[in-house]
Amino acid sequence: MTTLALALGAALALAAVLAVARPFLREPAPASDALAEPTELERRRLTLAEERDRALAALKELEFDHRTGKVSDEDYRRLVGPLRRSAADALRALEPRAEARHVHAARPG
Amino acid sequence: MAGLGRAALLLTFGLVAYALVAGSLAAWRRRRRLALSAQNAILASFATTLVASGVLVVALARRDLSFVYVAQHTSRSLPLGYALSAFWGGQEGSLLLWLLVLTGYSSLAVWLNRRSGELLAWTVPVLGGVAIFFALMLCFVSSPFATAPAPADGAGMVPSLQNPYMLAHPPMLYLGYVGLTIPFAFAMGALLSKRTDERWIVLTRRWTLAAWTFLGVGQLLGAHWAYVEIGWGGYYAWDPVENAALMPWLAATAFLHSVMIQEKRGMLKVWNMALVALAFGLSIFGTFLTRSGVVNSIHSFSQSPLGGWFLGFIVVIAIFSVGLIYLRLPLLRARTKLESLVSREATFLYNNLLLVALALTILWGVVYPLLTQAVNGETRSVSKPYYDFFLHTFGLPLLLLMGIGPLVAWRRASLRALGRTFVVPAVAAVATGVALIATGFGSSTPGLLAYTFSAFVAASIVLEFVRGRRATGSLLRLVARNRRRYGGYVVHAAVLSLAIGVAGSSAYQTVREQALRPGQSMEAAGYTFTYGALSTRQLQNSQETSATVLVSRGRSHVTTLHPGKSFYPVEQSLSNDVSIYHDPRSLGDVYTIADGISKNGTLQLKVLVKPLVNLVWLAGLIFVVGSVVALWPDAVEQRRLDERYAAVPV
Amino acid sequence: MKRSPARLVIALSVAAALAVFILYTSIAGAGTPQIEPSTLAQHAGQDVQLVGTVVSKPAGDAHSAAGMRFTLKDDHGTKAARVPVVYTGSVPDLFRQGRQVVVEGTLRDGTFVAKPGSLITKCPSKYSPAKSNT
Repeated sequence: MTTLALALGAALALAAVLAVARPFLREPAPASDALAEPTELERRRLTLAEERDRALAALKELEFDHRTGKVSDEDYRRLVGPLRRSAADALRALEPRAEARHVHAARPG
Repeated sequence: MAGLGRAALLLTFGLVAYALVAGSLAAWRRRRRLALSAQNAILASFATTLVASGVLVVALARRDLSFVYVAQHTSRSLPLGYALSAFWGGQEGSLLLWLLVLTGYSSLAVWLNRRSGELLAWTVPVLGGVAIFFALMLCFVSSPFATAPAPADGAGMVPSLQNPYMLAHPPMLYLGYVGLTIPFAFAMGALLSKRTDERWIVLTRRWTLAAWTFLGVGQLLGAHWAYVEIGWGGYYAWDPVENAALMPWLAATAFLHSVMIQEKRGMLKVWNMALVALAFGLSIFGTFLTRSGVVNSIHSFSQSPLGGWFLGFIVVIAIFSVGLIYLRLPLLRARTKLESLVSREATFLYNNLLLVALALTILWGVVYPLLTQAVNGETRSVSKPYYDFFLHTFGLPLLLLMGIGPLVAWRRASLRALGRTFVVPAVAAVATGVALIATGFGSSTPGLLAYTFSAFVAASIVLEFVRGRRATGSLLRLVARNRRRYGGYVVHAAVLSLAIGVAGSSAYQTVREQALRPGQSMEAAGYTFTYGALSTRQLQNSQETSATVLVSRGRSHVTTLHPGKSFYPVEQSLSNDVSIYHDPRSLGDVYTIADGISKNGTLQLKVLVKPLVNLVWLAGLIFVVGSVVALWPDAVEQRRLDERYAAVPV
Repeated sequence: MKRSPARLVIALSVAAALAVFILYTSIAGAGTPQIEPSTLAQHAGQDVQLVGTVVSKPAGDAHSAAGMRFTLKDDHGTKAARVPVVYTGSVPDLFRQGRQVVVEGTLRDGTFVAKPGSLITKCPSKYSPAKSNT
């Protein structure tokens, strides 16, 4: 192997080792070395947030389908109620204080 | 310099091994700095693989024949572009390309999600675990950096590989194949970290779509290559190596759809885990088929020792995925159920079942020779009729579903509403069918059905755009606000173009063959072909002999074609030069092959008239457009997602 | 519906797909055997795929009535078996002495009569570990 190749190889190896060691070199004595993981509460909030987004997205899609004529008026009326209810439930589960406002909006009018 | 290449690959091996071991430890013991260190190992592995690749590229460019690989796949007279493409022209180099793309993708995925959370912490060792196999092969089993005393000249490149497709087709395929590793790694990471949320789907949606597009376009490039270069008149032969790319693509198509159901309704969690593992497994199986020579294929036949290693790797992947999914089954219980068999969820489910059934029947056809050899001691194989039958049985309903799906509402569609939305497409389909039968297209039932179903789908897609535009006011605003949906519709239009093109060029093509002396002519599908004269010319590394064929329709001259053959002295081989006329009337091709040119000047001319075949290639362009639309970042959606996941790290 | 119909649908579909599959294979037969020259004699008169390496210089014109004649031997191993083949139809560019081919047809009176156009020549190994050229 030529000297150039050797030098490049050594430099590469050094760079690799440094890259791998970097987190330990930057923080030799950190306050906490624990991996960030969601608490039980956060996990539940996340699932609820996903449910809320799902319900809201489904409502939005229903509105769109209705506006473009794919869903008839009677089908819309049949489907929108349960969807609004589940959206309201999801919102309520996430933010109990906002409940009152959203329940009003969800009432069929 | 070969030493540097070897060293760089060894470093890669060490780094991904570290990512696997240290990453697993970090995730299990919840050590933040160790997890970050494992992430950095993945990033560094890309750098080292890049260096190794650079060494090979330079060696190829300089035609450094002391590299065994360079000597085997290039020659001094080989044009530079093709010499560079020899990178992926052989076993060792193509493995290196795979590793390069894998470490590149892994680095990108890690970098984009680099906050040190537990999902990434578990994904990193999976990425390392996949990369370690390829690094192992490259370091200890099949190295591109073997050296030997340099011969006078290299072995050269097979003439059929000396064309622009060699530059585009393999890398494109690899961008697709390897891309399926990322969703797999995140899915397994989610299972390992016991996460029940959909974060991994949100993170990998674009990866899956991009990989799927690359794989699809890569296959179309390969098909086009076979069509214009190999020149037997077709573009797909159900060869195991071709099927090797089709199977993961079908599984990925199914996954793309079923993952939408999980996003919208929280259903099919177990199915999606299994499907992403299947897609990934099939991509590895695909490259195993291509390399190992274990199945008789026109593309390869050598019994490579790599085959055993790959098989072992596939077994490990299978055991790991199935075992992990089984262990986490309780976590994957869905809360919502399928409400009605007439709903969009149900049509997606039918679509999935058909796609997976098609992929599995192709898989069966591919491994059948191996199974019969193992069981009976006698190798039996299936061919075109087998594949065509199942392509029609599963593919035609799939085509129809593509038109039905968008018309059906989520959750539960009332049959009455369905009837109303179906009217226009159904009428279009029936009208088309009747018109086709009246004009003689009834000669092929699958062809007729394909066209009729296509009319249904086309009408359904057009209606979606018309209705949507009416509701939003402008087409641009419609697409901009519903990128995924309308990008998806454009992709469906691409599939439609593909289906029509395939149906036209196979079910309704005309093939004629005749021996002609100069001055003589033959007829096919209303065209007349008159053989004029032979001519020869010398190119950089070949000698080309071609025949002048005048093509006319009735009395008017349409074009002049030059089918012929080329001789490559270095490689001592002959290659077919087909001559194709793209007919604007039928969107099809008039395809001529000089099957044989005898010493006394007699031309064996084979003519294929293939209606609508150019729709197949057009489909590739439409695919890209549709995917770009669907992939396009949406600021509104991104904000919503960021807000949803703000509290919870990756 | 109390129970999700999804499982029922999946089960029925799998059953349907299997039924279609079994029906097809029972009617269309279970594929064509791939035979090497050394074992061809046992399959005289049957429609098979003959897999072998071209040993002699091919003679004749595949587009003439008499066809092209060549001889095949086993791809691997050193068995002495040689099978004369007579073939009509398109000849792939890669075809010549020393290449591995697959051709479909039937063994009749000691000569393998090939189905027209069924000759496939395999690409010379780009993925093989061997270092020799051609």
